[in-house]
Amino acid sequence: MCGIAGRIVTGGGQLGRNLVELMEAQEHRGADSTGFAVYGPMRDTGYVLRGMGFDKRKIDSDLVDFEHILRDHASDFISEPTVTIDNNAHYCFRMEIKDPKDIDAWVQDADTLTDRIEVQSCGRSLEIIKDIGGAAAVADKHGVRDMVGTHGLGHARLATESSVLPNASHPFWARPFSDVAIVHNGQITDYFTWREKLERKGYRFLTGNDSELIAVWVSDQMKSGLTMQQALTNSISSIDGVFTYMIANAEGIGFAKDRFAMKPLVVMDRNGDLAMATEEQAVRRVFEDEGDVINYDGPSMTALWSVGNRRFAA
Amino acid sequence: MSEHIVDVGKRHIKEINEEIQEAAGQGKEIRVVNTLSRHNLGVGLPDGTKIAFEGSVGYYCGGLNVGATIDIERNAGWACGEGMSKGHITVGGYCGMSCGAAMMGGTIHVKGDAGPRCGVAMKGGNIIVEGKIGYQSGFMAHSGRIIALGGAGASCADALWQGEVWVVGDVESLGVDVNVVEPTAEEVAEVDAILDPLGLKDNSRNWRKMVSGQRLWYFESRDASAWLMI
Repeated sequence: MCGIAGRIVTGGGQLGRNLVELMEAQEHRGADSTGFAVYGPMRDTGYVLRGMGFDKRKIDSDLVDFEHILRDHASDFISEPTVTIDNNAHYCFRMEIKDPKDIDAWVQDADTLTDRIEVQSCGRSLEIIKDIGGAAAVADKHGVRDMVGTHGLGHARLATESSVLPNASHPFWARPFSDVAIVHNGQITDYFTWREKLERKGYRFLTGNDSELIAVWVSDQMKSGLTMQQALTNSISSIDGVFTYMIANAEGIGFAKDRFAMKPLVVMDRNGDLAMATEEQAVRRVFEDEGDVINYDGPSMTALWSVGNRRFAA
Repeated sequence: MSEHIVDVGKRHIKEINEEIQEAAGQGKEIRVVNTLSRHNLGVGLPDGTKIAFEGSVGYYCGGLNVGATIDIERNAGWACGEGMSKGHITVGGYCGMSCGAAMMGGTIHVKGDAGPRCGVAMKGGNIIVEGKIGYQSGFMAHSGRIIALGGAGASCADALWQGEVWVVGDVESLGVDVNVVEPTAEEVAEVDAILDPLGLKDNSRNWRKMVSGQRLWYFESRDASAWLMI
């Protein structure tokens, strides 16, 4: 069991506060870790990176080595990275960087440091904030409530098959595509089959979490030129298991649901102002009054909502 | 009979249910407001309780009901009336996945559609859905009746046992090991007797009655054709 959520705020606004509300209402579905994908103001150049290091005693040396790799790819820090630490061994960071010459090649090189430091999101607008603990704890630590933006995702994790560390938490970035994130509720039962296939194609997995597979799988679909809608539709027949996952990019949010109709998704749509969650009681934190609720309860379902409040495919 | 109003809001569910149980014990009619689709409301209500939920409720509302009359104004979440043995639940809108799961008796009346696996593993009682029943409804129903007046989703009545699924309208597809049979006049009269008190009797209906083909029921693992079914 996990809980997922999405939110599109018409015209942009207090997105972070709403995402936290959605996840607080679903904390009983898993409080091992909580994560948020926040799509804030879009920049023309440069990326915001979010991530973690595994040992806070090595922050300085980690960042020096990370900077070297950035410079090897004609990039650098735009401003001094900010680091968040607490009693845990790990640390979390936020960086703004200049555009690497080739983002794919840079990600490959940056991945050589993933036993020490891991980039968890890279976006013109996307920032993934994820950490261990419930929604309020993670929100307080990282200032999520104050974040503004147009749309975003949330995830409450009940850890099962992989570790309870921020890197095994959701959302997952669909590396190396900037601004693409997924959250997932379910189990992927052909995980090892797909992982082997994708690793043979050169993809690298950073965790043992089956949800990471969806992010990597989506990357592979996008690399082959498919649209998000096509990837969503293909996933239903290609990936085995019981799942509902949501994917977001700079333009909007989509979801796909397995053939067995096991994992729910509830949506309230107020003229394009959207709240989506595993449980209806969560969307009621955003829209408290009684209103029409769309239950995506059937098998093999997909939908895509744009930030421009148009439902641009279904 | 005096009325007791329970305000849900963000209060702890245990506290709310204790208030409901106390009012029920005093023989009061109960009206629950500000429900906010919260879970586990009105579980295990005693015989004779009359309770109305204004708005929508979350998961397991009316579960383990032993004789209460429960009226839900709008939608109900998953497993409404799960394990109930007696009583009557009315859902004014949509009823989520696994409506009436493993129920043993009583009636659930859904005025809208019902989600996937309506009546899963039910062991008795009746579920009447004025709209459509979702994917794999009636899955492994041991007994009881599901009556859908607005069609059925895919894999209808999959792996049914002694339960029955009655449908008017389109059925997207049948599940595994299902036989569609012509109901007798006596059987139709029985169903009409269930629908009549709800104002839903209509003599012109064209019923499809689904029962078990009994091959999974007596599954023989050495029979290759039995495996092909699943």
